[in-house]
Amino acid sequence: MARMKFLCDADRCIECNACVTACKNEHEVPWGINRRRVVTINDGKPGERSVSMACMHCTDAPCQAVCPVDCFLTTADGVVLHSKDLCIGCGYCFYACPFGAPQYPKTGNFGSRGKMDKCTYCAGGPEADNSPEEYAKYGANRLAQGKLPICAEMCSTKALLAGDSEMIATIYKERVLKRGYGSGAWGWKVAYRETIAV
Amino acid sequence: MSKSITASAHEASEDRDVSRRRFFKVLGGASTVALAAPIMSDEAHAGESKDEARKSRYRETDHVKKFYSTNRY
Repeated sequence: MARMKFLCDADRCIECNACVTACKNEHEVPWGINRRRVVTINDGKPGERSVSMACMHCTDAPCQAVCPVDCFLTTADGVVLHSKDLCIGCGYCFYACPFGAPQYPKTGNFGSRGKMDKCTYCAGGPEADNSPEEYAKYGANRLAQGKLPICAEMCSTKALLAGDSEMIATIYKERVLKRGYGSGAWGWKVAYRETIAV
Repeated sequence: MSKSITASAHEASEDRDVSRRRFFKVLGGASTVALAAPIMSDEAHAGESKDEARKSRYRETDHVKKFYSTNRY
């Protein structure tokens, strides 16, 4: 059975934020919520690195472990989904998640933040595949349409990989063998004209 | 005489108490069953829908294969 994963090739990410924009557009994500974000370290300095982050669809998901109403479910292909019908907006999942993936449409305390929203790996929710109800709550179900997440599919530098974990790991290994990694990568010294080890 | 009347009245009141207790026992049991039935049916329904929701959505279509091949460049 294929297991869905994201893998961001930090050597290729150029912090264009197109993955963030594409995600918001595809799923009509409400104002104030970003299901995906680009995090940059050493911004503006030689050796800066960017990585596109969203829900990592953990195998042993901490959000799932702490949810008091058990609204999370892991699909057979390893995608962590949640039910907005069951969610009470308590915020426990936000505190448990090491990636800051769960988002809330409103600011407030217990119960007044609204239903939690997060990356669905473009796999919708517990409703019937590609139904209007599913789209209204969770956005497009591209996986059921035979596609992959929009963020990865439209990445211009092919930095963000998505799909079967074995396949994307193989692709990443091929890249590293061919071009090197970090400061040993092809073109590093041309870009920075100095020796910076990463 | 008056003693025997008091005793019979006491017995009658005990009978009434017992029947009242039985009534509440039956009522309690019936309400428990009435409350549990929809909850149990909901659980069964949720179980069915959860199985459906947990199914794999990924398929290795031509579109997906093309994505993998373009990522190898």
